[in-house]
Amino acid sequence: MTPQQVTLRVNGVLRDVLVAPSDTLLDVLHDRLGLKDVRYGCGEGVCGTCTVLLDGDPVSSCLMYAVQVEEREIVTLLGLLGEDEALHPLQEAFLRLGGSQCGFCTPGVILTAYSLAERTPRPSRDQIRYELGGSLCRCTGYTKIFDAIESYLEDRACIEEQALN
Amino acid sequence: MSDTTLVSRVGAPVVVPQAPPGREPDVTAPQVPSPRDDKPPVIDTPASAVAPMHVVGRPLAHHDFIDKVKGSITYAADWELPGMLYARIVRATVPSGRIVSVDTDKARSIRGVAAIVTAEDVPSNQLVERASGGLGELLVAMPVLAHDRVRFAGEPIVLIAAETQQIADDAAELVQIEYEELPGVFDPEAALLADAPLVHDEGNVLVSWHIQRGDAQAALEGADVVIEGEYRTQHVEHAYLEPEAGVGWIENDVITLRVSTQIIEHATEIAEILALPANKVRVIAAYMGGGFGGKEDMTVEPYLALLVWKSRRPVRMIWNRQESVLASTKRHPFVMRYKTGATKDGHIVAQDVDIIGDAGAYPFLSARIMFAGAALSCGPYFTPNVAVRSRAVFTNNVPTSAFRGFGAMQVTLGYESQMDRLAETLGMDKVEVRRRNFLHKGDLIPTGETLDTAVAVEETLRRALARLGDKSVPSGPLKRVGRGFGCNMQPYGRTIWFRDRSSAWLSLQADGTLLIRSGVTDFGAGQAASLCQIAAEILGVPLERISVYIGDTALTPPAGGTFATRQLYMSGNAVMKAALSLRERIVPVAADALGCAVADVEFEDGRVIPATSPGEGAGNPEGISLGELVRLCEARSVDPTVLFVFHAEANHRGFDPATGQGGSFPDYTYGTHAAEVEVDLETGEVQVLKYAACHDVGRAINPLRVEGQIQGGAMQGLGYALMEEIVLDEGRIASSLFANYLIPTSDDMPDVMVDIVESGEGKGPMNARGIGEPPIGNSAPTIANAIADAIGCRPTRLPITPERVLDLIEAANSKAALGSTGRPDPAWR
Amino acid sequence: MTVTFGPTVDELAPRPPAPENGRRRDAAFEYVRVGSYDEAVEALEHYGARAKVLAGGQSLVPMMNLRLVRPGVLIDINGIDAGQPYFELDRLVLPAMTRYCEVLASPTVSAGSPLLAAAVSRVGNVRVRNRGTLGGSLAQGEATAELGAVMLALGSEIIVYGPRGYRTIAAEDFFLGYLTTSLQPEEVITGLCLPLARPRRGWSFHEMSRRSGSSAIVGVAANVELAPDGGEISSARLGLIGVADRPVVGSFEAVSSLEGEVPTLAQLDAVAFAVAAATCPVDDVQASGSYRRRMVRVLARRALNEAVLRAGGRVGTA
Repeated sequence: MTPQQVTLRVNGVLRDVLVAPSDTLLDVLHDRLGLKDVRYGCGEGVCGTCTVLLDGDPVSSCLMYAVQVEEREIVTLLGLLGEDEALHPLQEAFLRLGGSQCGFCTPGVILTAYSLAERTPRPSRDQIRYELGGSLCRCTGYTKIFDAIESYLEDRACIEEQALN
Repeated sequence: MSDTTLVSRVGAPVVVPQAPPGREPDVTAPQVPSPRDDKPPVIDTPASAVAPMHVVGRPLAHHDFIDKVKGSITYAADWELPGMLYARIVRATVPSGRIVSVDTDKARSIRGVAAIVTAEDVPSNQLVERASGGLGELLVAMPVLAHDRVRFAGEPIVLIAAETQQIADDAAELVQIEYEELPGVFDPEAALLADAPLVHDEGNVLVSWHIQRGDAQAALEGADVVIEGEYRTQHVEHAYLEPEAGVGWIENDVITLRVSTQIIEHATEIAEILALPANKVRVIAAYMGGGFGGKEDMTVEPYLALLVWKSRRPVRMIWNRQESVLASTKRHPFVMRYKTGATKDGHIVAQDVDIIGDAGAYPFLSARIMFAGAALSCGPYFTPNVAVRSRAVFTNNVPTSAFRGFGAMQVTLGYESQMDRLAETLGMDKVEVRRRNFLHKGDLIPTGETLDTAVAVEETLRRALARLGDKSVPSGPLKRVGRGFGCNMQPYGRTIWFRDRSSAWLSLQADGTLLIRSGVTDFGAGQAASLCQIAAEILGVPLERISVYIGDTALTPPAGGTFATRQLYMSGNAVMKAALSLRERIVPVAADALGCAVADVEFEDGRVIPATSPGEGAGNPEGISLGELVRLCEARSVDPTVLFVFHAEANHRGFDPATGQGGSFPDYTYGTHAAEVEVDLETGEVQVLKYAACHDVGRAINPLRVEGQIQGGAMQGLGYALMEEIVLDEGRIASSLFANYLIPTSDDMPDVMVDIVESGEGKGPMNARGIGEPPIGNSAPTIANAIADAIGCRPTRLPITPERVLDLIEAANSKAALGSTGRPDPAWR
Repeated sequence: MTVTFGPTVDELAPRPPAPENGRRRDAAFEYVRVGSYDEAVEALEHYGARAKVLAGGQSLVPMMNLRLVRPGVLIDINGIDAGQPYFELDRLVLPAMTRYCEVLASPTVSAGSPLLAAAVSRVGNVRVRNRGTLGGSLAQGEATAELGAVMLALGSEIIVYGPRGYRTIAAEDFFLGYLTTSLQPEEVITGLCLPLARPRRGWSFHEMSRRSGSSAIVGVAANVELAPDGGEISSARLGLIGVADRPVVGSFEAVSSLEGEVPTLAQLDAVAFAVAAATCPVDDVQASGSYRRRMVRVLARRALNEAVLRAGGRVGTA
């Protein structure tokens, strides 16, 4: 099988890579492009570990092939960092409120929460629960994940209010 | 925000209830000793107030957690080396059989296959379980790669390494293995029968533990009431989000493995397998994406090492999830038979407990797990007469080994169900019956040891129940709401006879920054970060100026593995003592420089300062930086580094395996969970409406992490109680898909409300107790008791699926309809 | 949730397939991207049995990751721009490429078929809903696909395109067996037609699963229509999932006995009982056949009750 060249736009940067059609987006990101924050968890699309944002929406990168996503915008957790690797306020909230223990589910969880927060101004805790239903965590029991997301939303609402005044 | 209360800050006394006055001796069996009466009741008070802490006790997160929220942390599978190969294990597809032939020719012929390893290639083809032994267990061999006999479906047979994962997987499919299937045995009770097929020629019973105290039989005969119960639990899977993984390579002739593992000390076993001297194998522990005991035995290590050794190239091995579900070790299912004897006012006089655990095809840590189950089978209750038998039995099922709770967890369903049933039978309040039996500091437990730390279980019960608030109204006419609770006691620290120890090496650098090196491994509970907090508290180094290096057999002093909730106790103490020792060594230099007494030197915020002002012109009232202090030390040849080896308390009493009497565990953590559930009478579905958890942690070194452990453990326990099951059918797992192994999602359970009690008495640093394992144990009995309260019949089998609940309801209804009783019998099994 | 692709117990006996031998990387395949249904059909004709259509991939790709399915060629139809859901006469027409998340966000759908919206909200998780398509779900033909129950309850139609042009398949003729539909090898689903919601028409969707997001143990979609000026039921239909190797219609005989009736709860229960008795669900790792059958009765009764009430009718308490 002759590999083909594809250009992927990952975290705002164009990356050229030679892939076979059967190379999943997960494997290309993790093994070929050095994006270690996109990891294998189950290969079934069930656990949420491999979540990336595709044009802003969370998808399972283990269920997509790299050849499918040329010209699409892919964002991984590392893509949320600001200049000089400054933490995104959502990441800060996770740190402050204990939303991450072993950390393996964290990229998928934060990206999914980020996507929800971008689409919905003030999701309720129940809406957050529902949206995160496909992001499995075995360490935290989820409560501090919700706490962190709500804290981020609260802070953001405050900042927006201040900006309006 | 989640609802959490720190019940007491350090320094505020917690009054732990006294032993009730005059606990009566067991008058129904006069020949039975009641040791409790030999001692006066002990009044528990916490350790006297310590000065408020600066770092310990604050919910600061740092170190590895920063990389985790960033995404920049490197787990075992995130490591890459030039020329790296990709591995695959070919596993047995029959649960019991003889290997007739293994044909790897076709596999070898594929371009890109670099190495294939079979049993013949392994220099010393056996896994040795060092953690058990010497206490009467059967000695059976476990091969690294099966050669003639296969004992479980999933047993490794062939290893492949290739240029790409796809080629390795293609090659794996081309390996042809011919089996002659042999009769297998798939149920441990069936394996005990005389004509059962033998899993191992040596026999099917790995070990049979006994704990005898007093005369349980006589006491039961004389008891006012005897409650008999049988309880069954299931195989469950750790289901860490990170599957087993690692990368290996050769460096300076040393086989080096960087793996997701709880125990780097397996390096010596790996060396033996390769017939290499121990200095030729190095194991580095990456931060784990969850462990829970599933990475306590070796997982990828021996296979990775063999492929590296054979191919002489770097190799990566990641188990796929379905492989992990299929073949990685599981929790022991228990069959528990209880006979609980009590007086008519609810005092337990005896417990007779029989436990059978399915050890699967190979021993692993089964012997120790069955011991822990036996030792904790009576729970946090004073039990004057005890007869416990606990057996680990081989079957051709997937092997079982360590999983958070380690035997002491499964038995909570037994003893807490028995307590509720005792209350029901006597018409007593369920809280009251426990109050009358709770252990107290100074009591003897079934192994004949005296509890020497505070027992605050009653306080945890009070708090957990208070959290539930007003009872919810059922959401429909065919729904029922019920409440239940479960108390538990879980050991922390290894069994005493293992002479546990842990070391830590602390070095102050020229600029006052601190390096901590410890062989500890970290699976996300802050094992590494906690060490920083302890050192920061004692040496005053700001957290961001401490770096901790963990888990490397070459470079860090050994700390023993991360399991048995031992790391805070062992490595925490090691770091604490090392820090105290370091402080003691350098403080005279500081005192000199500051012109004050040694006792007046304070370590704070990267500086040493005098507590009181010295006399005029005597020195430096502003203090000096730690960096300056280190330079002064160097000038005086005072070494600013310390390596400290902490030894767990020694067992002077010995241990007698025949009676189970002697030193067992160093200490215990007590707690209670309480829940409110709603049962749908038509579907059997159980919805958990409210859930509260309270544990006495001695002192919360990091309250945020303690809460996180409790919430996470409770959630794992809820999965165990309600939805998780590895279903085996004649030794084959019915589904190895992650889609079919149901762990709780964010949308299944309510928030776990946490309360922390700090009795101030624990054997960890700063009087802390371990909290890793305890919170998983309470959930199953809590839920079972709540369901029993809701529907009047009691689940005795896990998981409590809607189908099982519906069967219970329908059986009770038909029994009632037949007119045998007016309502379902609450003590009905 | 439509990601159950695991083998049934029948297939498991006597030996399970062996994803456990650790095959994680897909076997190699060729990849073809098409921009229209014509191109898709051309490609299917060209590659024949080696080819499989890739839409959302949420059911197909897990099977490929486990090497349970090994197409030689994947035909990616995600580039086909098929438009938005729209009303046509008395029907709601949905392009097959409509993703679940689009269904949930569409005012056209929430007005035109609230039953569809309700069922889709139970599908999988947010990632499945972002990629999975209605056409893909139907083509997979899973026994527990919520969409299947809805299509059958509503008496819907599936529009299919192939070498001989378009044809319409009634939902009740579409699901043939385990992962088998009446879609021919060179055909591709292009759209779905559902009858529009309107006054005197009520719906309900009830599903029971062991855990949030996992596949349904049993699901029932109900569609009930009342007489224009009385409270009698003029027609009723149930679609069931989890009771057979494919989505099925609830016993026509039992359900049609409600026609002309102003039902009581007892009547609904009797019908539900008969619907359950007519099913023959098998045991699997999630639940036994006996339990599924009991759930059909409970959920069918609840769904019928709710549908009648939604239609504006009454259910007597006798």
